[in-house]
Amino acid sequence: MWSDLLNLGIIVSVLAATIRIATPVLFSALGEVTAERAGVYNMGIEGTMLMGAFIGWLATYESGSSLIGLAAALLAGAVMSLIFAVMVISLKIDQIVTGLALNLLGSGLSTYWLRAAFSNMEKVPGITVLRTWPVPFLSDIPVVGPVLFNQGALTYLAFLLVPVIWLFLFRSRLGLEIRCIGENPKALDIKGHSVAARQYAAVIFGGAMAGLGGACLTIASTAHFVPDMVNGRGWLALVIVIAGGWRPGWILAAALFFSFLDALQLQIQGVGIAIPYQILLALPYIAAIVALMIRRRASRAPAMLGVSYRRE
Amino acid sequence: MAITAVMGYRIERRSTRSPFAWALALVLAGACALLVCAGLFIAAGADPWQAFAALLKGGLGSKRAIAETMVKATPLILTGLACTIAFRARLWNIGAEGQVFAGAMFAYWCQSALGDAPAPVQIAMIVIGALIGGALLGGLAGILKARFQVDEVISTVMLNYIIVYALSLLLQNGPWTEAGSFFEQTAMVPDAAQLPVILAKTRLHLGFLFALVAAAVVHVMLLRSSLGYEIRAAGSNLRALEFQGVKITRLIIVVMAISGAVAGLAGAFEVYGVQHRLKSGTLGGLGYTGIIIAILGQLRPIGVVAAALVFGVLLNGATLMQIKSGVPSALIYAVEAIILMFFLIAWAASEFRLRRLHHVE
Repeated sequence: MWSDLLNLGIIVSVLAATIRIATPVLFSALGEVTAERAGVYNMGIEGTMLMGAFIGWLATYESGSSLIGLAAALLAGAVMSLIFAVMVISLKIDQIVTGLALNLLGSGLSTYWLRAAFSNMEKVPGITVLRTWPVPFLSDIPVVGPVLFNQGALTYLAFLLVPVIWLFLFRSRLGLEIRCIGENPKALDIKGHSVAARQYAAVIFGGAMAGLGGACLTIASTAHFVPDMVNGRGWLALVIVIAGGWRPGWILAAALFFSFLDALQLQIQGVGIAIPYQILLALPYIAAIVALMIRRRASRAPAMLGVSYRRE
Repeated sequence: MAITAVMGYRIERRSTRSPFAWALALVLAGACALLVCAGLFIAAGADPWQAFAALLKGGLGSKRAIAETMVKATPLILTGLACTIAFRARLWNIGAEGQVFAGAMFAYWCQSALGDAPAPVQIAMIVIGALIGGALLGGLAGILKARFQVDEVISTVMLNYIIVYALSLLLQNGPWTEAGSFFEQTAMVPDAAQLPVILAKTRLHLGFLFALVAAAVVHVMLLRSSLGYEIRAAGSNLRALEFQGVKITRLIIVVMAISGAVAGLAGAFEVYGVQHRLKSGTLGGLGYTGIIIAILGQLRPIGVVAAALVFGVLLNGATLMQIKSGVPSALIYAVEAIILMFFLIAWAASEFRLRRLHHVE
């Protein structure tokens, strides 16, 4: 049965699934790295993704338009991270505690809202999910075509965002300033630039991306919202940022690694290999711990990550 | 210092907090949460007064309701204490959630090996098993942090997911599955292993008293023992502690193990005091709520007990609220998070004060 996994068709389908599954965590991790480079450790990604998944789904259902749904998810993510930003940047509340509170808020609010809005319905309605969008010509290339160029629009966007974020962080003025805040905020403050304004921008962008990442799970994938459906992907995004050493290229590699495990798991179940599915499902979480054991956290983290900036 | 003077007043940071700051923050947070809550009731199309009344009646309306509130508070006292111990040392143990499962599982494993032992032996075994199970999972996260510098927040969250899959593995056509059952659950535990009910005609069980004892023990441990001193010192100044010759790596592992052990009790008491069988899905959320309880209780055992009892009212009253006013009981989880956020904000704001500026001639 293991040999079943080694035929070309299966390999192509595992790789294509890897790319597809990487999409939501890639959005979230790229947003998070922007915030973390600005010294803000937003641990509320899981809850933010949940709100994005829920609001995106609800808005698509109410309006019948996926575009409106995506815009609503971006907004939901931005609002969640605005709450976070006010609490940690302006009020200087502990970032870890606030992040945890945000997760609980996202989980509680989305579950309650779902139950309140659809209490008199037998079954929660589904939406029409986004279809795949094969790139002309490129998708006809054998192997590479179906793996890379027969995906949904959001997947292309997520992968395109990798070089964009890299260019922004490492080749733009604002990106340099954001990285400076993560290492030495005082230097920027002394020059008369607002540390808080840049942190707000970075955190809200990060939250909007997490909202979009969450929306991928409903609008581009399952058509339904289920309570706590993000199921740890927000936390994996945090692991991916650390494992990727806070650099977009390596973050992409780390995201692909974790989604490969997930894709493989689906396929192993598909061909009927008799490993209990619980072990397969736990695999990414075990791998996350191992990845963090190998790549120690302190090494490349921004020096002021998680520390609120206070003027003396 | 930024000068933000409006009409002769200025916001300043206090050097010390007034003793009433905590109480004030709590009242303000409660009031704000009530307002948001009323908004959510109206959004759900319910009459807020009716919903609040049902919530309170369900939680405190009769002797039975109060006893059930205490039943709901029992695991929350324990997970709140677990978080308190770790948070005091600035170790962010988010793993009480998983340690609850580990405690329940290990207790079940130990107790089911006993056969027909008398009740006191069974209950002693349950307590010991729960402590060990929780300590193992908490200690594992401690080792990962102390020896491999793995951030404890992330490792404990990952372990939370892993342990739930492990339980599912054991319960689904596994060695613990109840014979002939379709559900992921064990058979009922024997009567001798069930925690005795301490108030007739209610579900209030011995675990509640154990939880209060645990709170007293943690209080004494934190304030009177040398370990408690080290925990508090680790929370305020780790470097100084290191200079005193305390082995920080050992301390991290010990604190995480103790924190896990206390959370483990919560799981075992739920299984042997309330459910009377181990099943997947009924232990979820206890650990995450414990984080809120610990913070609202200001990381003090007495505060934790008080906060857990208040949350017990909410959780217990939610059922009647759903029946009477149609508001989904899932509201409580949103409300818990909202209370926490407002409390954090009010607490941070209490650090500041409005002061009238004096004119300097």
